[in-house]
Amino acid sequence: MEGKVIVVTSGKGGVGKTTATASIGAALALEGKRVAIVDMDIGLRNLDVVMGLENRIVFNIVDVVLGKCKISQAAIRDRRIENLFLIPASQSDNKDVLSPAGVERIANELRKEFDYVIMDSPAGIERGFQNAIVGANEAIVICTPDVSSVRDADRVIGILYSRSLTPKLVVNRIEPARVERGEMLSYEDVLEVLSIELLGLVPMDEHVLISTNTGTPLVLQNDSKAGHAFRRIARRLNGEADLPIEIPTHRTNMWKKISKTFGFK
Amino acid sequence: MFNALFKRFTSQKPSKLTAKKRLQFSLIYDKLEVNDTTLTDLQNDIVAVISKYFEIDKDALELKVKRDDDVSALVFNTPILQVKRKRAS
Repeated sequence: MEGKVIVVTSGKGGVGKTTATASIGAALALEGKRVAIVDMDIGLRNLDVVMGLENRIVFNIVDVVLGKCKISQAAIRDRRIENLFLIPASQSDNKDVLSPAGVERIANELRKEFDYVIMDSPAGIERGFQNAIVGANEAIVICTPDVSSVRDADRVIGILYSRSLTPKLVVNRIEPARVERGEMLSYEDVLEVLSIELLGLVPMDEHVLISTNTGTPLVLQNDSKAGHAFRRIARRLNGEADLPIEIPTHRTNMWKKISKTFGFK
Repeated sequence: MFNALFKRFTSQKPSKLTAKKRLQFSLIYDKLEVNDTTLTDLQNDIVAVISKYFEIDKDALELKVKRDDDVSALVFNTPILQVKRKRAS
């Protein structure tokens, strides 16, 4: 059976797309699936450092698409998580070296060898983004609860629909305490504005920076809330569509409880 | 809590409500944005249709998208010079 090609995209940069791609991919591999993560951000590669595989790059996705090497030569095997592979981006080329037709051909080849192919799209909606979505069967849109990110997500969702892709949404970096104080859009607000299916909610988590500092998979850290959320997202993607979405909450301290009793929100 | 108390007395609206409102408006406006080529094409098509029935002053006509707070409208304004009489066939 052929695998699925899933593109992870956001429109706006800096919302956690790369972390999400690495984490969802790693979590799917932990579920026992054979996973290839492909960095489509040509010229600005980052997945390799986030995943801690930057020292092992020989070939990259541009080499694969241009026929300079085989998929198996470019795919770096993760030594910590079984069945997890990274195909890195090229750092020296520019986005125009890849043609949509070439990417689509490779995406179809990858589907034959892997259960899941996760494409990390570059920010923006130009050529690089178009290349990242061309071979996809499914799409995940990442946004944070902030106006510019939600607006860009809306734009990207529109483009994905026009390509017959029905994206699912992950709201990243939720800070429950600020949501409660009315300083941050709640996930319900975001969903109401974007009217799209929700895939998961990820809380703001200090572990993310630490795990990218060291290049270790977030999903292997048992005390990471974000890692936990990404593992549930992967399970929902991998056939457990009924798995409930956990809503990030924060510990209410005594003062808050008292103030709530008196009606101060 | 003191923060909450303060907000209560100054009746300050939570900023997320403002964020949501602004977002909803901007998304609607984004979708109504039409580029110049679309407008020119549209104008040419409308002129072609109207010219079948009326003689119009092509230099004096105007086409624009009007936006108010809750409605937006396409306004096409043209002086009519003459009605074209259809010949009985």
